[in-house]
Amino acid sequence: MQRSTLFIQGDRGLYRLHPLSKLAITGFLLVAAGTAPNLSLLLLGYLLLLLPLAVWSGLLHPFLKSSLLVITPFVISLAVIQGFFTPGQIILLQLGPFTFTLEGLLSGLTVAGRILLALGGTLLLMLSTRPDHLMLSLTQHGLPSSLAYIVLTSLQIFPRFQDRARVIMDAQQARGLEMRVNPLKRMRLLVPLMGPLILGSIVDVEERAMALEARAFSRSGPKSSLIVLRDSFPQRALRGLLLLGMLSLIAWRIWAVFSL
Amino acid sequence: MITVKGFSYWYPGEEEPALEKIDLTIPQGQFCGVVGANGAGKSTLCSALSGFVPHFFHGEFEGEVRIDKHMVAQTPLGELAGEVGLVFQNPFNQIGGARFTVREEIAFGLENLGLSKKEMETRIAEVLDLVGIEELADRSPFALSGGQQQRVALASILAMQPKVLVLDEPTAQLDPRSTEDVFSALRGLVQRAETTVVMVEHKLEWLADFVDRVIALDRGRIELDDSPTKVLSSPRMVKMGIGRTQYTETAAAAKRGKLKLRPKILPVTLDQARTFFR
Repeated sequence: MQRSTLFIQGDRGLYRLHPLSKLAITGFLLVAAGTAPNLSLLLLGYLLLLLPLAVWSGLLHPFLKSSLLVITPFVISLAVIQGFFTPGQIILLQLGPFTFTLEGLLSGLTVAGRILLALGGTLLLMLSTRPDHLMLSLTQHGLPSSLAYIVLTSLQIFPRFQDRARVIMDAQQARGLEMRVNPLKRMRLLVPLMGPLILGSIVDVEERAMALEARAFSRSGPKSSLIVLRDSFPQRALRGLLLLGMLSLIAWRIWAVFSL
Repeated sequence: MITVKGFSYWYPGEEEPALEKIDLTIPQGQFCGVVGANGAGKSTLCSALSGFVPHFFHGEFEGEVRIDKHMVAQTPLGELAGEVGLVFQNPFNQIGGARFTVREEIAFGLENLGLSKKEMETRIAEVLDLVGIEELADRSPFALSGGQQQRVALASILAMQPKVLVLDEPTAQLDPRSTEDVFSALRGLVQRAETTVVMVEHKLEWLADFVDRVIALDRGRIELDDSPTKVLSSPRMVKMGIGRTQYTETAAAAKRGKLKLRPKILPVTLDQARTFFR
């Protein structure tokens, strides 16, 4: 069966932080990515904040691999589109009526830099945090447990859904359904797959709901947790500072826009 | 103790009742097997005992089902879950889906009951041992085989320590060794904790060896209700489409073949068959 999350087992650096602290770091990086005025600040953020965090947590290799995998198409497409369609003074390339400008390239790279910083922050959170720990920390701070349950089961059920689709497809092919045809015909062939897949899933939902009831999911009264998330005053202080930092960046950005 | 009085139940939109005038008393600490052909009402009886009928499936009903002092129809499912545990056939759908290890999966019900971490850890260790899945404790429940998942589902319910345990074909996906483990665990539970166990099962040989009583259902009615030997050796079992144990069938064939065999009651277990043919 396929993996359902990006989480990698580990025990140092970010792994030792409370999930809410990691969420606050990610939130700060998202706001920083949206408010940083230029490319160099974005790259500095990536090099001086994200990379040290990845090294500290022993996640440098998967972090760089995933970052590059996702960011490369953005860099290429944004650089090309912005380079050709943003007017500028310095022309780097002329292709018939189209001009590729330095200003456009920088604009494209800045957008890509924002995505890199935002994506990097989210990626570090996902690599170092078990989804159930994150949801537990949120439910302990007021998120309804039913909502947390839906998020967590979706993560686990989706790969299972794919497995079931594969089994049904194999069964249909065993009965002579030819799948090695052109894409248009293939789309039509998906129809006999959808019936059993959807009906089977509806039956599953009923049984799953029964199983949840049998495990006292709808019981009123306080719930407890086997997992204990360690928190501390320095971490709570860090979260407070990060929140303050986020608000300051947003306020500064608004002020900068209106003072122009 | 389970008390069922004049209970009939109709699924929504159905004219024929799935259960009809069921009267049943199962004392605390009894291991009771339920048999029947497809559509006989076995799963509906399980649902009625665990409160899913009428709370989950709705429909119409007459009569009452009582678990100790709780009137099932008047007690919310969430409250009944601490009293009655239900394990059913499909193991995958019994895995909660929100936990990432078997240990945490077992803890899911205990967390909903609001137990302390220490109490949860004690109970988890007990059921892991009881069901024989200690080595799976830190694995993902979704990475297990059907048989292993079924044992996790059973352990998850056992950990909640219900007074009544209702099982709907829990060994359908288990091999003979695992089936024996489950039956032995349940027998131990009945003896040690005085848990009342109601188990729907098609593997008649296992029922004959382990349960105290067998109820045979046919078209929503209780047709036979007695000791395993009396029910499982009854010729009516064949008429109801349930069949009989291999020992009973062999002995019946021997009798038809005019072998001079003294015992009148046909054997349902290996030991009884030895005596029968001696």
